Amino acid sequence: MIKNYLKVALKVLGRRKFFTFISLFGISVTLVVLMVATALLDQVFAPEAPEVHGDRTLGIYQVGLRSEQIAYTGFAGYGLLDRVLRNLTTEVPAVERTSILSVQSTAISYLDGKRVESWFKRTDGEFWRILDFQFLEGQPFSQDDEKNGHHVAVINASTRDRFFGGKPAVGKTIAIDGQTFRVVGVVKDVPVLRVVAFSDVWVPISTFKSSTYRKDYIGNFMAILLARSRADFPAIRSEVAARLKAAEAGIPNPEMYKWIFGGADTLLGAFSRVLFSTNSLADSHPERLLGVFLLLMMLFMILPTVNLVNINLSRILDRSSEIGVRKAFGASSWTLVGQFVVENVFLTLIGAGIGLILAAAVLSTLNASGAIPYSDLHLNGRVFLYGLGIALFFGLFSGVYPAWRMSKLHPVQALRGRQV
Amino acid sequence: MIRHLFKLVWNRKRTSALLILEIFFSFLVVFVVATLGMYCWDNYKRPLGFSIKNVWQLRIETKKSDDQHTPEESATFARLLKEVKSFDAIESAAGAMGAPYEFGQYQSGMTIHHHDVTMEFNEVTPELKDVLGLRLVAGRWFQEGDEKLSWLPVVIDRDLARDAFGGQEAIGQRLDEPAPDGMKPKPGMRVIGVVDDFRRAGELSGPGNYRFDLKRLGNPDDRPGRIILVKVRSGTPASFEETLMARAQGVAPEWSFEVKPLTQLRESAFRLRLTPLIVGGIVAFFLLLMVGLGLIGVLWQNLLQRTREIGLRRATGASRAEVHRQVVMEQILLTTLGVFLGTVLVAQIPILDLIGFVSGRVFAGGLLVAMVSIYLLSILCALYPSAMAARVQPADALRYE
Repeated sequence: MIKNYLKVALKVLGRRKFFTFISLFGISVTLVVLMVATALLDQVFAPEAPEVHGDRTLGIYQVGLRSEQIAYTGFAGYGLLDRVLRNLTTEVPAVERTSILSVQSTAISYLDGKRVESWFKRTDGEFWRILDFQFLEGQPFSQDDEKNGHHVAVINASTRDRFFGGKPAVGKTIAIDGQTFRVVGVVKDVPVLRVVAFSDVWVPISTFKSSTYRKDYIGNFMAILLARSRADFPAIRSEVAARLKAAEAGIPNPEMYKWIFGGADTLLGAFSRVLFSTNSLADSHPERLLGVFLLLMMLFMILPTVNLVNINLSRILDRSSEIGVRKAFGASSWTLVGQFVVENVFLTLIGAGIGLILAAAVLSTLNASGAIPYSDLHLNGRVFLYGLGIALFFGLFSGVYPAWRMSKLHPVQALRGRQV
Repeated sequence: MIRHLFKLVWNRKRTSALLILEIFFSFLVVFVVATLGMYCWDNYKRPLGFSIKNVWQLRIETKKSDDQHTPEESATFARLLKEVKSFDAIESAAGAMGAPYEFGQYQSGMTIHHHDVTMEFNEVTPELKDVLGLRLVAGRWFQEGDEKLSWLPVVIDRDLARDAFGGQEAIGQRLDEPAPDGMKPKPGMRVIGVVDDFRRAGELSGPGNYRFDLKRLGNPDDRPGRIILVKVRSGTPASFEETLMARAQGVAPEWSFEVKPLTQLRESAFRLRLTPLIVGGIVAFFLLLMVGLGLIGVLWQNLLQRTREIGLRRATGASRAEVHRQVVMEQILLTTLGVFLGTVLVAQIPILDLIGFVSGRVFAGGLLVAMVSIYLLSILCALYPSAMAARVQPADALRYE
């Protein structure tokens, strides 16, 4: 039956080429935009290299200090994170590893008098064991390097190109931000959208120029916690919450602030916490952010849908005699609705196929343009599945009303080719 | 004529309603993009209030929040500023908390004459007027000895003067910022001067209130600045950056630095604000193209259904031009209905004051652009199908089943 529907659909598509073209154009333009947006979100949130364990990682990203009158929100300070994470892995077996890392900032070097800007991140040794970087040469620095303040650095391939003309860099030194580091490893470029992993140059935290950061509660650090499984998330969250509560006793400026807000979040939760609870940071609501994404998608789809509905309705008129015959021979309205919806979904899927090819082209243009540093946007299985879901939804959304209108045609009138 | 057109549209109300809906949504899409574009353009034409010619920023990164500082850090900052000024290549240098075109900002709110006023502020040293070429319109700028006053002298921009004091004289007025409990209250602020509108965030940002507080370098209570803005002599080579960095690093080995011409910050600020607009514009363009093609297809098909009607009109003596005109007029009527609905909806923005930043002029501009482009699109799409319809031979048309 479905096979017959598809045959009919193909025939209809071939009959009115102009209509087929405008339908497919609309469908594929719509899906290109949605698939590019999906690929961007995928690059931020999906667990892919180097954030391979993203699906079982929690992070303490932004925290807030508050009193009755004022609130200060920002990234956490090293002092606070160190206090919260200390002995966490031994006391809570559900936590496999923890790492503290700084937010990347730009740092300046001068090569033959020319300024070179690099992204610069300070991390501990555990960072390299939670995230899975692809090393082109050398190896990461270790927890010992961090403890002893060794001036060592891991750089990415682009930095190697800039500083050493692409030649092997391990063992050479690199001057950056007024300090000198010995290169111990070179990794593949990490896209800027990978907010936790991204940088050009990674060095140990303890190479900081001053040591006052060790006491700060607010600063520019974040922490990631690798859980043994997602099932442990609730337990880890409440442990972190309890430790943040306990840390309130040690707030460095108690005359100003009394409470700490924040918690361990998934990446989605972290974005949502910042967006939706601006002042209190009391809770993360990842479902709200998902809701916003869905709402935006629906809003964007309204116009293409109305457009496709209009085109579909016109096509029905074109086929009134076929419908008349089918009805006269006893096809029920429901059968016809089914047939038309299947046809529309089929058409949408063809459009989605074209859209997929176009989206791949748009993404590789985006990658090549350098608009998003080191972006590695691509269509993977996940994006493909999302795209397929969106296409099916779009096909149903835009097919139901025309199908219903079609099934309402009166057979006698339909056979005479009268208007609906 | 019009009544007749309405009748024709009403007779085909379901098809017409969907077309109107499509035009309505297209109108909204164009309106949003056009209004954002108008907003940027309107801002771009306003005076900026400063000049960044030959101005570089030396950014200091202490990796700490502003809440805490030691008297030593404040002293280091004063020493650093003095050291920077001693270069021959530097005409003048000023310390500040924030720089033009920078992303972050310092916000403050207070109650003045019983109404709430929010403003952006900056703590600056007196040299800033020369570095950024600020234009004073009333009162005076900071001068030697101001740091010893028992109150804090501030200079405000024209927007803030208007917003806070209306028609009254701003000079000499007091501003009181509520200090959070437990914090040492700031000394009382008094306005000593008014400068031209100052739009720190750059050409594409909207107008806003601005306040300059005096940064008192010798005072250990005042936090160290985060920025030193330097005006270099014209012709200073880019390699001077490295010299400046090295000197700064020598004075304050614990801090990190970054030197950049402000033109570079200006570029990134433009990119940041224009990218969404460009992406939105491209998406809107493709959406309109899709709508345009769709309209052509639908109109064509509809007219094909009406071959007999058109044939009858031709047989009773209507010329081709008249048929043509009828079709286009019908389309204009549909468009008018869609645009009318859209206008009623977007008119709620100024009526209910939904989005503060949309001024009357920007709104009217966006509305006009949206209307013109939707009418153009709609008429263009009607031309080809109506030409096809007008070509129908009466004899063929009447026979057509």
